[in-house]
Amino acid sequence: MWALRGGRCLRAAWSWGGSRLARGATGGRQIDQNPEWQLEEQKPLPQKKVTMELLDHLERLALVDFRNWEGVERLEKAIQFADQLHEVNTEGIEPMDSVLENRCLYLRGDNITEGNCTKELLQNASQTAEEYFEAPPGNIPLPKLEERESFLQDSN
Amino acid sequence: MLRAALREVSTALKEGQVSPTELCQRCLSLIKATKCLNAYITVTEDTALRQAEESEKRYRRGQSLGDLDGIPVAVKDNFSTTGIETTCASNMLKGYIPPYNATVVQKLLDQGAVLIGKTNLDEFAMGSGSTDGIFGPVRNPWSYSKQYREKCGQNSHLENEDSSWLITGGSSGGSAAAVSSFTCFAALGSDTGGSTRNPAAHCGVVGLKPTYGLVSRHGLIPLVNSMDVPGILTRCVDDAATVLGVLAGHDPKDSTTVQDPFNPFKLPSVIDVGKLCIGIPKEYHIPGLSSETLKVWSKAADLFENAGARVIEVSLPHTCYSIVCYHVLCAAEVASNMARFDGLEYGHRSNMDKSTESMYAATRREGFNDVVRGRILSGNYFLLKQNYEKYFIKAQKVRRLIANDFVNVFSSGVDVLLTPTTLRDAVPYVEFIKEDNRTRSAQDDIFTQAANMSAFLHNLGGVRNLCLKNIQVLLYSRQSLTSDLYKKIYVNLSKEYGFKVCIWEEASNLPTQGPIQERAEKPSLQVCTSTEHKWLQHYFLTGNAKPDQI
Amino acid sequence: MAAPVSGGGRLCRLAWRRRAGALHSGAQPAALGREPGKVAAAQSGVAPWRAVVGLEVHAQISSNSKIFSGSQVQFTAPPNSLVSFFDASLPGTLPVLNRRCVEAAVMTGLALSCSINKKSLFDRKHYFYADLPAGYQITQQRLPIAVNGNLSYTLCVGAKQSQMVTKNVRIKQIQLEQDSGKSLHNDARSQTFIDLNRAGVGLMEVVMEPDMCCGEEAAAAVRELQLILQTLGSSQAIMAEGQLRVDANVSVHHPGESYGVRTEVKNINSLRFLARAVDYEIQRQIEELENGGTILNETRAFDYKLGCTIPMRDKEGKQDYRFMPEPNLPPLILYDAKSLPANIDDQQVVNIDWIQERLPDLPSVKRVRLVEQYGILPEHSFTLLNEDGLMELFEDVVRETQMNPKKVIGWVISELLGHLKQYDLTVKESPVNSLSLADLLNLLERGVISSSAAKQVLEELWKGEGKTPLQIVKEKRLELIQNQRELDQICQAVMEGHQEEVMEIKAGNKKVLNKLIGLVQRATQRRADPILVKQILEKKLSQ
Repeated sequence: MWALRGGRCLRAAWSWGGSRLARGATGGRQIDQNPEWQLEEQKPLPQKKVTMELLDHLERLALVDFRNWEGVERLEKAIQFADQLHEVNTEGIEPMDSVLENRCLYLRGDNITEGNCTKELLQNASQTAEEYFEAPPGNIPLPKLEERESFLQDSN
Repeated sequence: MLRAALREVSTALKEGQVSPTELCQRCLSLIKATKCLNAYITVTEDTALRQAEESEKRYRRGQSLGDLDGIPVAVKDNFSTTGIETTCASNMLKGYIPPYNATVVQKLLDQGAVLIGKTNLDEFAMGSGSTDGIFGPVRNPWSYSKQYREKCGQNSHLENEDSSWLITGGSSGGSAAAVSSFTCFAALGSDTGGSTRNPAAHCGVVGLKPTYGLVSRHGLIPLVNSMDVPGILTRCVDDAATVLGVLAGHDPKDSTTVQDPFNPFKLPSVIDVGKLCIGIPKEYHIPGLSSETLKVWSKAADLFENAGARVIEVSLPHTCYSIVCYHVLCAAEVASNMARFDGLEYGHRSNMDKSTESMYAATRREGFNDVVRGRILSGNYFLLKQNYEKYFIKAQKVRRLIANDFVNVFSSGVDVLLTPTTLRDAVPYVEFIKEDNRTRSAQDDIFTQAANMSAFLHNLGGVRNLCLKNIQVLLYSRQSLTSDLYKKIYVNLSKEYGFKVCIWEEASNLPTQGPIQERAEKPSLQVCTSTEHKWLQHYFLTGNAKPDQI
Repeated sequence: MAAPVSGGGRLCRLAWRRRAGALHSGAQPAALGREPGKVAAAQSGVAPWRAVVGLEVHAQISSNSKIFSGSQVQFTAPPNSLVSFFDASLPGTLPVLNRRCVEAAVMTGLALSCSINKKSLFDRKHYFYADLPAGYQITQQRLPIAVNGNLSYTLCVGAKQSQMVTKNVRIKQIQLEQDSGKSLHNDARSQTFIDLNRAGVGLMEVVMEPDMCCGEEAAAAVRELQLILQTLGSSQAIMAEGQLRVDANVSVHHPGESYGVRTEVKNINSLRFLARAVDYEIQRQIEELENGGTILNETRAFDYKLGCTIPMRDKEGKQDYRFMPEPNLPPLILYDAKSLPANIDDQQVVNIDWIQERLPDLPSVKRVRLVEQYGILPEHSFTLLNEDGLMELFEDVVRETQMNPKKVIGWVISELLGHLKQYDLTVKESPVNSLSLADLLNLLERGVISSSAAKQVLEELWKGEGKTPLQIVKEKRLELIQNQRELDQICQAVMEGHQEEVMEIKAGNKKVLNKLIGLVQRATQRRADPILVKQILEKKLSQ
């Protein structure tokens, strides 16, 4: 996997003069035959400290488990990959929040157009009772790490 | 007949040369014959035949609904279809039968199209190979082409074939394979970061990603709400335009569709690239680009220049960050969109019932694959209070920089940008699975996701991508030009410029027999343009599917 | 204090002291709210405490359909019958904003003197709960529709609750959001049943800054908000139906020091409980701190049977809502007369100025008008508005009678309302309507009956037997003697029969006159107008 070296990318661009067009094998003039970025040895960036506390916190918030070390590594790699963003200077730049920032929201009239489809809705639910959806008791937090069916407990 | 373009089939149906039922049956048997491709998850045989019958009645009465009446189409299995299982290739939705049709599906049905089946994909559309779904990977029909097999230097031993088959690209691989193998005339895919264009490139079909906001997403099970677009896969550009004409327009059920009226158009045949200014973004030349792709890229540039266009080099300096940006914003939205899958109202539900929380956790563990779970966890990480500013907001700022890059380029006189679509050709499955999904996506989406990201461009209406047989066209339209918002600009590279066409023999000859004629050049290119120049009417046609035009 | 005093907006001048043993007996904490500055009898000798109360009020928007979907809004309906595919979070469904909800929020914002944000944004607030099908709630966290407003409310203080103090609370913001579904628990079989009828109903969350200092202020502020919402029609605000719910944030500190740790008391659904819950929580915190303990930043619920707040089940680990922009909803743009675009569909435009022009009179305005128009006292005006329907009744009676409104008010408040309170009835349920009361007051005004007779008639009317006041007067023979000569004769007779008393009066002991009047009353079976009798007697005595 090639490493995207952002800083390098820009520097390479600056150093590439517009008039310097290398002639490729097919005679094409427009595309420089040398790639913009250099292929680099993947130097591991300083490892993000992904603590057990953080993993536990994420598992609770997302209600999704890491399942195994691969899962944890996946997260670490994702964070590492995302960290490249910090190489970019964004001072004074407004965040672009939405593709739709210059469009305005469509408003619908206050009419009753939906509903009354109890049967259809309940059809897809695995557990129902009369006309209700049935859920196990709520307000019980996930068991502590040690009691949870999560591989994280073993990794302590 | 199965190889014909929409317009031809439509005419044939109107004239009674073939009946909708016949057409439908032929497609159905072809699907059976090409089962090894694993392109379909659900084949809706009964429904399709019924719809064909209805269509036939209409034709007999002389009241056809339009160009799509009686035409078999396939739909990616992440679009809701009433009464038809919609799984997103995930355990989480196995057995889920939606009670409503996605707007785009409804529009097709309203035009009389015959829904032939739901196609295979990567689980929840996450992936670039159509290999990560619970129903198994989709095989690229080209794996069985004579040319490819000759290239592999092997004879037709079944086991060798099995191990060297090519991926379709993804995530709309099933739809691309379906269209490419002639089992339907058009298919719906979805495009978030290239998921329609990538498989279109790999399978040698036309893939169109409409501008965000042009086509309704109501009923499309979302991956990234701010980037998803229903995609159209067909065998020629005219067909794509026809289908787009049916699907586009404001939908009151989708607040992100543009409210301006949409005027469907027909592609004229006049071609003139003389006044075009083509930009070649230098940052798109990255390591990993195969030499073949590079060759074709250069060749395309030359072709434009020889045709009279002005071809210059341009710079999109933040290109290398767009994939990182996309990764962060995508993961965050995915984490959010997947929060609804808890087993309570629909979908898989775990037997664990000690508490709601543990039931949810168990359901999600059992229902999602590693890829989905991984993205949910990293997405949640980026959204944590302590990380939101550092990652999410930061990514939004970088997105604006990327968007500004495009604005700068287009406001400097460039009309069209020409870039590759993928780094390389379709690869064999065995090679593809060596790297993990995120890495692969990072590589494969490198060219295509910038268009999805820049679909959010400030002041730009959006980007439309057309991935034609190996050529990808990215079209921008400025929001200020409301009437021209959806005028397409196509650059026409006619057959003279040497882009050849691939033709399949009757698919009943798959996978082992039948001479296959030359493939088109495999690598695909992207062409981006801006519609600010109203007077530009350029059409991009790469060779079409008719054998006699080669 | 003789005149209404305008209280400061921010500093609460109440001082709290712990009332010895108060909490454990479950009795009400010291009612300090009534006398600003005063302290409870049992002092513990510790430095005074200040309490700080902020509120988050959730008001259900009065609309036909829900805020992001087209299903109906109705309090009672068969379970899951008012649920659309979007409300049930079926994958692929998308939110579409209801115009009426926007108008309701703008109206409310304007009535509370807020700045309306011409551009506001929607966000997702993530947490898992059985009654939240999507796993997130759509709300407005970054940029809500209205900010920086003010609510003035009135407190009745003084020994007889007759003095009015005006207080202010700052409104931090108003945001549009979705309501959640309902979960019904069956503890016996450890099951939970989910009804999504309420899921997706539009809510306006009104956030009030911590400018209040006790339960009474909190309740008064919410009451005023309730009246405003009902006047606007943006919410019916019926607390009993869950249309208005309050979360209170309470903390205590010593004057001069920084604010203490606050607790949140959630989901209070009556004004009485609000006052009690807040006061209880203040006392509890004071006790806790004076005993050397600490206050946890936690969420509590109010147990109205026990009259105390209890901690809600603690969630292990901290909550993080991971707010994120709602990608399916572009920014909400509002216009005013100046910024109105030329060629745009009417349906797509919400014009702030247009709404402002059509705002009805707010309660505060109505109160002032009543005082000016009818000459009644401010506290009367306050009471009229405070009771649902009482103002209308009063105005109806005034219209139908010749009696001076200043006298009518006494009858409406002391007599009618007094009876209603006694029997715990609302104005709507009153057995005596405005017409009957008007008739009665007319009889009184014309001198047909005396004041005490009128009260008797009212008692009869209260039985609701359908008789008119005139009928009752005739039946009970309560008419005043109109015949001057007859009265004269009776007075004469009484005087002749009580020469001693007559002498005493003539001698200068005026008080004895009352006895004579009383005797005349007895002789006439109270059918003599005492004022008239007095006049006649005095005239005779002076002859």
